[in-house]
Amino acid sequence: MAFIELKGVTLDLPIYEVHGRSLKRQLAQLGRRNAIAEGNDGVVIVRALSDVSVRFESGQRIGLIGHNGAGKSTILRVMAGIYAPTAGEVAREGKVVPLLDISLGMDDNSTGLQNIRLRGLLLGMTDSELKAKQQEIADFCELGDYLDLPIRTYSSGMRVRLAFAISTAVDAEILLLDEVMGVGDASFMHKAQARLADLHRRAEIVVLAMHSNAEIRRTCDTVLWMDHGGVRMFGPTEEIVSAYEAYVSA
Amino acid sequence: MLKFAVTDLKQSMASWRLWMLLGWIEIRQRYARSRLGPFWLTISMGVVIASIGVVYGTLFGQKMSDYLPYLAASLVSWGMFASTVQEGSTAYISNAAYIRQVATAKLIYVLQVPWRNLIILAHNFVIILLLLAIFGVPSWATLPLFIPGLVILTLNATWMAMLTGLFSARFRDLPQIIASLVQVAFYVTPIMYRPEALTRFSFLVRLNPLTYLLDVVRQPLLGQVPSMQTYVLTIGMAIVGWLLALTVTSRYLKRISYWI
Repeated sequence: MAFIELKGVTLDLPIYEVHGRSLKRQLAQLGRRNAIAEGNDGVVIVRALSDVSVRFESGQRIGLIGHNGAGKSTILRVMAGIYAPTAGEVAREGKVVPLLDISLGMDDNSTGLQNIRLRGLLLGMTDSELKAKQQEIADFCELGDYLDLPIRTYSSGMRVRLAFAISTAVDAEILLLDEVMGVGDASFMHKAQARLADLHRRAEIVVLAMHSNAEIRRTCDTVLWMDHGGVRMFGPTEEIVSAYEAYVSA
Repeated sequence: MLKFAVTDLKQSMASWRLWMLLGWIEIRQRYARSRLGPFWLTISMGVVIASIGVVYGTLFGQKMSDYLPYLAASLVSWGMFASTVQEGSTAYISNAAYIRQVATAKLIYVLQVPWRNLIILAHNFVIILLLLAIFGVPSWATLPLFIPGLVILTLNATWMAMLTGLFSARFRDLPQIIASLVQVAFYVTPIMYRPEALTRFSFLVRLNPLTYLLDVVRQPLLGQVPSMQTYVLTIGMAIVGWLLALTVTSRYLKRISYWI
């Protein structure tokens, strides 16, 4: 059974200035006594998550809400294993597929088909899985012969279609989504919704960060309200979303 | 102590398809839309060897039939080594977009570098074959030793790439420092000249590990058997280097996604 458990997770993100990362700075600091005071101007540390403890079980559909910079994307990255927590523990079981920024991580000079392979491998698909799904991906994105052209020739809409088609073809046990709804033109949007719904059905756990409360109400059964890197509220959708709406309009 | 890096390495090896693809993409990108594609590598290397060969061969008073194969074997192996170490320094930096999106094993980004440079070496190898065909193969018996030699060279270049990649992700002026170090190493290592030729400062050659690293690859091509000392040194270097690189990688593996 798939699950994700965060126990007292704290994450400090170091923000390096151009100076902060240079070796010159570091060497210059060696001779100085007041290293901390000097050091502070180079590396700024942002506490992105502080003491977050939650457990998501198989079958749950979790929505993340909160204002910008509340830590929604960061917590998704922690759950995906991209960021290791500074303190605390992350326990996880099941194949995790993060769809964080679907348009990144494609190679401009490679053709559509080559990108299907690249992105598929990056998302952890096996060779046989890729072969089996290539046709289906090609059909879904409706790019036809364009798939043989390098994707730098694509319009931004075509690019997103391709990225979306590849990313959503992966079989995930735990699916992490970050605001992926704005996909392509109206007709494609409709198809994309259906495909996402199908993807949700196949996955055991879905965690999605979204700003649309209506969408959250429709798809999620549990909601995690993040505030300043911490958990503000965690519980059934209706209760939390109502509280959040009341807070926002207040 | 080595645990994290070894696990990562195993996972990376298992996804060989991914790093082989990433390596190819780089090459494809560099030569996109050119008619000859990666064979431009062969051509430019050929031009370099021909011009250095003629000028320095004359300056050093060398016999062309000896000097050209020597120079070609040296430059081609050096090219593989130097670019692996140098491109290793941007291994994580230039793949930041991937690293921030998916939690793959990290060493795939390092492994693609030696792989790419082996492909380039294969293209450049045409020149060596050509020169051997023109001037004759010095000894068929020693040729097979080229393969273990290349393995040793690649293993050594890879651990260095692991280290330069990791530290460059944290300290951004390191790629420049490494580029100039590699440039200096090119002059103090017997590549254009023969090891025996440096009579006054022979310690530069004797104490330079890169001399042995090149010897282990090029000597078999030139009809010589690398000495026992050469093998012991280079293999020892590979073992110690890998242990060091894996230890350091283990220590900082989790920080990579913060640094890039």
